[in-house]
Amino acid sequence: MAPSIRETAISQLRRGVLEFCVLALLRDGERYSYELVRALGDANGLVTTEGTLYPMLGRLRRDGVVDTTWRESPSGPPRRYYRLTPDGQSVLDGFVIEWTRFRDSVDALLGNGVLK
Amino acid sequence: MTTDTLHPLAADYLERLRRAGRGLPAGRRRELLVEIEGHLSEAIEPGASDAQALTVLDRLGEPEAIIAAEMPPADVAPERRGVAEWAAIILLPFGGFIFGIGWLAGLVLLWSSRAWTTRDKWIGTLVIPGGLLTAFAALLALGHPTKKLCTGFPGRIPHCTNAPGPSAGADAVGIAVFVVLVLAPIASAIYLARRAGRLRLP
Repeated sequence: MAPSIRETAISQLRRGVLEFCVLALLRDGERYSYELVRALGDANGLVTTEGTLYPMLGRLRRDGVVDTTWRESPSGPPRRYYRLTPDGQSVLDGFVIEWTRFRDSVDALLGNGVLK
Repeated sequence: MTTDTLHPLAADYLERLRRAGRGLPAGRRRELLVEIEGHLSEAIEPGASDAQALTVLDRLGEPEAIIAAEMPPADVAPERRGVAEWAAIILLPFGGFIFGIGWLAGLVLLWSSRAWTTRDKWIGTLVIPGGLLTAFAALLALGHPTKKLCTGFPGRIPHCTNAPGPSAGADAVGIAVFVVLVLAPIASAIYLARRAGRLRLP
């Protein structure tokens, strides 16, 4: 069934890149979870359910690519701030190179004219 | 907590999440709840309408979906896995009464299971070797204070004395040791059951 193959592929693509998008958002400094989730949620077509990003943030922390600190918030419960670890930085650098190559190849094959 | 300042729909949502997350390790569940409570309190302004609150909740997704994303994918059919784990949980405290080998069988099941971390397995092993049989052995020994506490039983007894004769102080210590020896294996079994529960055993 064509639509379900397409949906599966899109959701796998999303899942594959989301973690790196989180790392990219942390490149310029730390952010707390709601800021991260909001930034990803606002990106068009990237996230369908914002809530499942929280388990993903937990996995990134367990994988050692991000570090976290809890701080009091001016209102509401404490905030958990995330920042890149040196490991996370090198994972991100590697992905940027791979992604650029991957994107250019796919664009070329799809005929989007990025590579003339 | 700040839950009472949350929009009622957001508070309901948080409660559903709390219930859905019962299978998670307690610490992880608490972190997740605090982060999502923060999300709700920032995304839904004070005095927001129900429609505004529902829009935020829609974007978050079902609480069950968040918990499902948190669970490690089970690589073995859980119902087949569950039997051995429950057998271990029962054999560790009570198995000692089956000629002593029941406890050893429980130990084998404990260490061959993947439902527990190494730390859990050490807790299950060391609290208390022999299970309740050890408490029973201690009780028999206490009943005959002229004998050594340590003789004649396969389970090790942590508190060994050569009590020369009964005294009120020794009795109080003996009773305290006995109570600990009874409660510790039971607490240990409950702990193991809860730790295995995060993998959704039956």
